[in-house]
Formats: sequence, C-alpha cells, structure tokens
Amino acid sequence: MTDLTTCPHSADWSEFRPFEHDGMTEFFARKRAEEPVFFDEGTGYWIVTRRDDVRAIFADPDRFSASNVHDPLTPFPPELVEYLKQEGFRRDKTQANCDRPKHTRIRQVAQSFLNIRQFKTREPQIREMVAAAVDKLRGRGRVDLVDDFAYELPARVLFLLLGVPDIDARRIKTWADSRFNMISGDADFEAKMEAGRQVMDFWNYCGAIIADRQKNPGDDYPSHLLAAHAKDPESISLDEIQNLTFGVLLAGHETTTNAIGNTMHMLLQDRDEWNRLVADPSLAPGYVEEGLRAGPPVVIWRRRAVEEVTIGGVTLPEGAPIMMSLASANRDEDHFACPHAFEGTRSNARDHVSFGYGIHFCMGAPLAKLELKLVLELLSQAFPNMTLVPDSDPDWQRTILVRGPGRLLVDLNE
Amino acid sequence: MIKLTFIEPSGTSRQIDAALGTSIMQAATAAGVQGIAAECGGACMCATCHCLVVEAPAAGLPEMTETERDVLEFTSEEMQETSRLTCQIAVAEDLAGTVFKVVGR
Repeated sequence: MTDLTTCPHSADWSEFRPFEHDGMTEFFARKRAEEPVFFDEGTGYWIVTRRDDVRAIFADPDRFSASNVHDPLTPFPPELVEYLKQEGFRRDKTQANCDRPKHTRIRQVAQSFLNIRQFKTREPQIREMVAAAVDKLRGRGRVDLVDDFAYELPARVLFLLLGVPDIDARRIKTWADSRFNMISGDADFEAKMEAGRQVMDFWNYCGAIIADRQKNPGDDYPSHLLAAHAKDPESISLDEIQNLTFGVLLAGHETTTNAIGNTMHMLLQDRDEWNRLVADPSLAPGYVEEGLRAGPPVVIWRRRAVEEVTIGGVTLPEGAPIMMSLASANRDEDHFACPHAFEGTRSNARDHVSFGYGIHFCMGAPLAKLELKLVLELLSQAFPNMTLVPDSDPDWQRTILVRGPGRLLVDLNE
Repeated sequence: MIKLTFIEPSGTSRQIDAALGTSIMQAATAAGVQGIAAECGGACMCATCHCLVVEAPAAGLPEMTETERDVLEFTSEEMQETSRLTCQIAVAEDLAGTVFKVVGR
C-alpha cells in the first residue's frame, strides 16, 4: 500500500503549480479540506477540487459550457495562427468542446460506431497487438515501459478503428504530443511552431484517409461517419467528419499511454498489490479501475460558467473559467476511504471521474479499459518478477491537462 | 411528477416521485434507489443503469436506439427482452406506474 507519508518526492506547494507533478496530491488534499473551490492567479482559472462539485459541474452542461476544453492555455503566437489559417486547418468544435444541441447531433452519429459493440468485436485483434508488444520486450533485461511499450501500443489499437492496420506509430505519437503541447504545455515559440506544423501534417493525413474511404469504404470509423453523411448530410458534415477523425488522436492514445504508465508505476511501487495481480490475473479489471482513480491520465478538465453559478458554496461570475481537478476528485476522502492507498480490491474504485460524467463521458472509455485490462493481464503473466529500477526519475510530463511518466525503467528479471 | 416503482437488488420495492423531463435514471438516483450506479452519468456508455421492465405502461415505452441496444447486448449482465438503460428514457406522464427491476448489484 502506498501512502502519502511514504512519498519520496513530496514537495510543499503554497500555491497551485499546474505543470508540476510532485506535490500535487498533497496540495489538493489540503485544498479539499481548507478551500475546495479557489481562484488561481497564475492560470486565471477557478479550481474545483471535490468530487461532488466536479460531478455537479459535469452533470449541468447548460450552465457549464464545454467550449473552452481545447483552448490553448497561453495564446498561440500570431505567426502560428496565420500559418494554420493559410494551410487550411478547419478545426471546429465538434465533441469534447462542443455544447448542446450541436453536441447531441454529432455524438449520436459518433457513438453509433464508437461503442462497446465495436470494441468487443475487435478484442481478439487487440489482444494480439498487446501480446506482440509484450513479446517484443522478452529477453531485453532492462526496458523503459513507456518508450518500449506504452508509447506505441495505443496508437496501433486506435488506428485499427480508423481502418489503418499498418502505421508508423512514432509519427502518430509525434502528432499527438504536438497537439497537447500546443494546447496545454509551456512550450517556447519555436516548439509551438513545430507543434503547429506537426498538427497540420496530421490534419492533412486525416483528410487523406477520408478521401480514400469515400472511394474505398470499409468497416471503420471514417467509413461509418461517411455512410451517415451519405444517408443524411444534415446529421454530419464532411468537415465535421475530418474533425472527428482528427479528434480520435487527441482523445485516444496519449491518454491511454499515460494510463498504462501511471497504473504500472503505482502497481510496481507496491509489491503486495503486484504479487496479488500476478497470482490472479482475473483481478485485472479491479486494478484498471483503481489505476484510473489514483493515477488519472487526465488530471484537469475545463468548463466555463454560462451564468453566475454557486459551486461548493462559492459564487463564480458569469464567464468564469473553471478547471476541475479530476486527480483531486478521485482522492476525495468524502467518497473514497483511505484515498491515497492503491488497492485493487477497492469496492467503489469505479466511481472515479477520470472519463468525465454525463453527456460528454469519454466514448473511448470501454476501449481504454479493455486495453488496460489486457496489458495488466499479459504483462503480469509474462514478467511476474518485474521491478522498478530504484531511484529512476519518472520524468513527469509538463502539461497541465494530461499526466503520465515520460519514462518508466524496469528490470524484467525473467 | 409521476410515480415509478423500482425493485432493488435486495428485493425491496421502492415507489418514487419522478420529475417530468429528467431521465428515469436521474429520478431513481436522486431518490436513492439502490443498485443504479449510473457511472457515466447518462451518456449511454456504461450500462450501470440497466433495469428490467416488470410492468410496462399501457402506451409502452419509447423505442430503444441502436446505441442503447449495442450497449445492452455487450454488457456483463445478460440482456433480456425487457432490458432497458434507464438513462435513455425520459420521464413522461404516460410512464406513470411503470415498475422496474434493477439489474445492478
């Protein structure tokens, strides 16, 4: 069992340090007790820390708009805005940052493909992909579970849904990382411009997939969206289809990479829990939920108050930008007993808000859970003696919204 | 408001007042009906608001969408002929008196 008091890197934050990881848990535990809703001068956002308040915001999409979900935290340089415009980047609000009624129309079309039926149907192929990734580790002694395993796997799974069986996963990860850096990292000018070029490259790649599927329809997400468009052009436009295809990348695998990294990091830090999983891999679904709760891949999600609202007893003005700390909500002691303990048998672990709540609930959640379950099952059975390399720095990502180790060195001890 | 009845997993029968316009799931969770986790909060993703319709209203229930059917068919609790996801049904006058059996734990 891991406990706050045993955390070797705890750092004392007097105020919110959104890009840092070490110290976050302790900071939010204090805030939940002392000032559960507060204004952060540094970001200019209201921060909401308690689970009940976070769920209340998610459950009220008419008073809490999602329109700022993908807004850059610092304005894009004018050169970048001009570049994207010139190149024909037609990114529009279609899903996570789209409000009703448009959201309802688009979600209905998207969800009629992105649902548990499609994911379950592909389980045998996904299992093969995970098994192949595990096999690639064999005999290597010391590996980085992020770079050598978790980095590419979710991209491969996701592109199965896009009907792209053979991809250059590295290229795709570069695209996804660039998108996140552009929105929520603290990158410098040149890094932002390079991120913009990569994002543009991916936008065009999505356009090419759609153009191809118009000629050669298959059993995949873009083809399904195009079929819906052909049946009723009012239900979804071609630009929206390109946006949805583009959005899959942002939503789908950076997050899963981080979920694998976070969960494995916590599991390997706690030998008793790891050994329990090794002895009984049927416990994997419980560890998946607990991993998502204690180490959410998305730590912050945003909303904007449409009108003056009172949340957690604090009145926020109309237009107030809000950050909900999902990481904090998932460790709310009012809902989770011993919230800082990592326990695969926790009975209410599934009550986390790592996938959101309500009309915007993550459409990829069943896929992510399926993938994580297979990863835990197969990794624990292949390398039961695996250990973390002592004192290796996880190199936590410096973005506000998503969080995971940049590196996870392990000895496989085969 | 209309009256709805839920048979909880323990066998306890609970009659609740449900506000028009909300979903059956929202009405049930607001009234504290046991066994409806409603993990996803009404997005038709998780099937944790799965109920069986024990007594249907005279006019019947609104038809289920393909997405609701997909989710129900692949949930861990086997879908039955009377299965519904209560987050996908809006509370309306003509549903008064409907009796649901909660499938969850």
